[in-house]
Amino acid sequence: MLTLQLLINGILLGGLYGIMALGMSLIWGVMNIVNIAHGALIMLGAYLTFWTFTLWGWDPFAALPLTILILFVYGYLLQRLVLNLVVRAQLFLTLLITFGVEVVMVNLARMFWSADLRQVTPAYAGANFSVGGLTIPYVRLWVFVTTVILSVSFLLLLERTRLGRAIRATSEELRAARLTGIPVTHIYAVTFGLGAALAGAAGGLWGMLFPITPIMGGALTLKSFVVAVLGGLGTMMGAIVGGLVLGLAESFSATYLGPTYPNAISFGLVVLILILRPAGILGRRS
Amino acid sequence: MRRIAPALVGLAVVVLVGAAPAVLSPFLVQFLINLFMLAVLAESWNIIGGFTGYASFGNVAFFGVGAYTTGVLLTRTALPFGLALTAGGALAMLFAAVIGMPILRLKGHYFAIATLGVAETMREVVYNLEVTGAGTGLVMPISRSPLPFFYVMLGLLVAATLVNWWLSASRFGYGLVAIREDEDAAAAMGIDTARYKTVAFALSGAFAGLTGGVFAYWITFIDPDAVFRVITTIQMIIMAVFGGMGTVLGPLLGAVVLASVSELLSTQLVALAELFNGFIIILVVLFMPRGLVDVLATRPFSLRRFADNVRAYRI
Amino acid sequence: MRRRAFVTGSLAGLAVGSLPVGRAAQAADQIVLGSAISQTGKYAREGKFYVDAYALTVEAINKAGGVKVGGRPYQLALKLYDDQSDPNLSVRLFTRLVTSDRVNFLLGPYSSGITIPASAVSEKYEIPMIQGGGASGKIFDRGYKYIFGTLPKAEFYFQSAIEAAVKLTPPVRTAALLYSNEAFDRSVADGARQWLKEWKVDKVYDEEYQPATQDFTSILAVIKSKGPDLVLVAGHVENALNFIRQSQAADVNPKMVVFTVGPPTADFRKTLGKAAELAYGITPWLPDMEVGGEVFASASQFAKQFQERFGYEADYHVAAGAACVLALKVAVEHASSLEPKKVRDALAALDVETLYGRVKFEPTGQIAMGQVLIQIQDGKVVPVYVSGKMLRKPVYPTPKWAERK
Repeated sequence: MLTLQLLINGILLGGLYGIMALGMSLIWGVMNIVNIAHGALIMLGAYLTFWTFTLWGWDPFAALPLTILILFVYGYLLQRLVLNLVVRAQLFLTLLITFGVEVVMVNLARMFWSADLRQVTPAYAGANFSVGGLTIPYVRLWVFVTTVILSVSFLLLLERTRLGRAIRATSEELRAARLTGIPVTHIYAVTFGLGAALAGAAGGLWGMLFPITPIMGGALTLKSFVVAVLGGLGTMMGAIVGGLVLGLAESFSATYLGPTYPNAISFGLVVLILILRPAGILGRRS
Repeated sequence: MRRIAPALVGLAVVVLVGAAPAVLSPFLVQFLINLFMLAVLAESWNIIGGFTGYASFGNVAFFGVGAYTTGVLLTRTALPFGLALTAGGALAMLFAAVIGMPILRLKGHYFAIATLGVAETMREVVYNLEVTGAGTGLVMPISRSPLPFFYVMLGLLVAATLVNWWLSASRFGYGLVAIREDEDAAAAMGIDTARYKTVAFALSGAFAGLTGGVFAYWITFIDPDAVFRVITTIQMIIMAVFGGMGTVLGPLLGAVVLASVSELLSTQLVALAELFNGFIIILVVLFMPRGLVDVLATRPFSLRRFADNVRAYRI
Repeated sequence: MRRRAFVTGSLAGLAVGSLPVGRAAQAADQIVLGSAISQTGKYAREGKFYVDAYALTVEAINKAGGVKVGGRPYQLALKLYDDQSDPNLSVRLFTRLVTSDRVNFLLGPYSSGITIPASAVSEKYEIPMIQGGGASGKIFDRGYKYIFGTLPKAEFYFQSAIEAAVKLTPPVRTAALLYSNEAFDRSVADGARQWLKEWKVDKVYDEEYQPATQDFTSILAVIKSKGPDLVLVAGHVENALNFIRQSQAADVNPKMVVFTVGPPTADFRKTLGKAAELAYGITPWLPDMEVGGEVFASASQFAKQFQERFGYEADYHVAAGAACVLALKVAVEHASSLEPKKVRDALAALDVETLYGRVKFEPTGQIAMGQVLIQIQDGKVVPVYVSGKMLRKPVYPTPKWAERK
């Protein structure tokens, strides 16, 4: 019974981890940019949900489309105006610049919104239902369902639409894509915007479960790395699978080894995977 | 004559700085100790990141290993500081060599993430062990005077700079640069790339570890969050890049300028200091990725250089 | 060559620009109290309590005529830095306060984790530091002479809770202990294990969690499966917030849940709203206690002044911080001198009644004071048990989440 509860807990949270990492995987896979500001984007999404909830009483789920839109525009502009300038530079320079962006975003958030802990507590926050000895909180379940919807929509967009095809073409072979008339700069910006939008959605969902602070992003960026590496860097399905795996690993290791171990294990796993099977669970061997 | 002049100037600077504690306020002595530490770290990162081209994002792992080794020995045994410090540096070097063997086979982003993973794993490991004090940390015996720390750090800085200088003029160093420029060609030329990379990584780790050991005793207290911070590695990198990675004095220069500005800001405008740091990072990457040394060495000095840098990398 | 010139030039410039200009110019007849306090970072919330407490107390003392040293009145002044909740930065800032700003005395930071290294600085430079933010015995068991603290020993935090628990009907028989991997909470846990053994309560769960933990669902799942009567949670405010919210969502219903931090603080109760009902907490001070003396005639008068000045309710952090400043004032007056060593001796011998209670330090430097077990009832803090006396029957056992309205 305990095992089943742990399994459910792991899956529910794992779905959220997956959507969190999806944005990072997209940007990494298509543009070869490791976005250290990823956590800051998640944070921004969380705050948007908080402010719409606090100032206008919007239900946090209802706020998601707005969050997605705003983060998309923000990501598009960030890429087009700033990051684009170093997109072909040495890899670690792009790492550095996204780190700089993260520092700026976090400190601006701190200045404008203060370091106080914020919470989004709609009326149904603590509600749960029991089925056969298992307790399932409603919010977690709906968050999970939302992540499934978002993931499926996103994968469909990537596979079935013209935009998706353009994105995939650009990621495969930049020069060829350009030659076929794909507006590469624009596509790059759209991709980053999509990645940011996914991060923002993840933030909105995260904010329904956990407290929101300006510095919440750092740990989440690291977690997204772990998920992306686990599942396979740069693959979309990999992010989702990696998220579920991490969710389950955390749930079980916290219980059977002790709550102080999950982090040590997840980072150790990252190193091991990169050494032994860099492609991760689902990645292609390149 | 041309070889002696720079050496004499360098010696003069060291002597001057060495005499500084006699005239400086205790607070500035502390500031300089911190500055030397950052400079050593930047120079040490330069060995693997600048010369060899393997941008490690986890060098703080070695700093932390050195700090904790020294710390554990100082708090749990009767070893004197000198021995504890040596052990810290040695263990960090060994750790770098051992972990380097599998990790240096990775390239680019994979290498960066793997090194980051190593640093985070070490932090979590230390967080969990009782011998390292777990979440409580370790408190060192009290040391009364800052002078020994000043001279040890200065000594480490001189040593690290000399190592970088040696790299810039030796076969081994040329080998590293060859690896950076084109690793396959370097291997084809007969360079044992695996061995070269591992040695560079171990050297880098050794200096970081020694610095960590001194830091532990100087600051009197360490906990996992203090000595395994991602921001420490980023500081090393940004100072090396700002000054000029792959050069001998670039990292040192970068450390001097950035640490001074940061210190100035943090007293006057605490809230803005970090924000400022963030902007600096962005501007440096955009406008002067080859560093201050490059900017200073280019004549005629013109703004076009900055614009060219920007245009070079975009889509 | 140009590069070298640059380097030499900047170092020389530094040297010249830093020639000592002597002791920082201080206004005549002023006593400067220095501190590095968490104004940003994970302890920002609690840090603010101390910043405000120090400010109010200094103002009040100055208004009441200041500090009398050898017949002359001195005004108190504060010099505060932000340690960003970082023990490293704290050490550097305290070193700066002592060596560069040359303050007279030091007020402590928040959290045992930061106080442990910060007190090494005060010990090194032999300047008295008095703090109200660190309770771990580890701060005081190193034989240091210059550190004093107004928070009672962490190891005793859960004592009254456990004592009370076994005296209730039906008495508590099993307990779960959950604590954060940090100096203070580990000390609390060490003590708790002792009390549980002493009162013959069966410990069915004993686990440590990382301070940054936000998701307690697996922990809660295990606790639920073991079904203890009493759950003891040691951690900081954010941990307590998450624990309560998630225990509601996971439908975990122990008969009694006690937190080291959170319930006595108004902000905590406001954030959680109804979910905080019936949670237990610990505090060495309540605003309606019958204590008072130095500068503030009573605890309630202090609480009222504080509320008016800062717009929020004072809790024990605030009172403990105020007590630090008051203790220093009295010690300086007793020593009739500003010499660090003399003031240090006066602090060690201190015995004075204040708004916080009786301030008297043990030889280790830590105050000896009992803790009150409180319960949140109707959003208010209700004292339940202290030093062997059940003050008021708590609402016990806590009804299940589903049955609460």
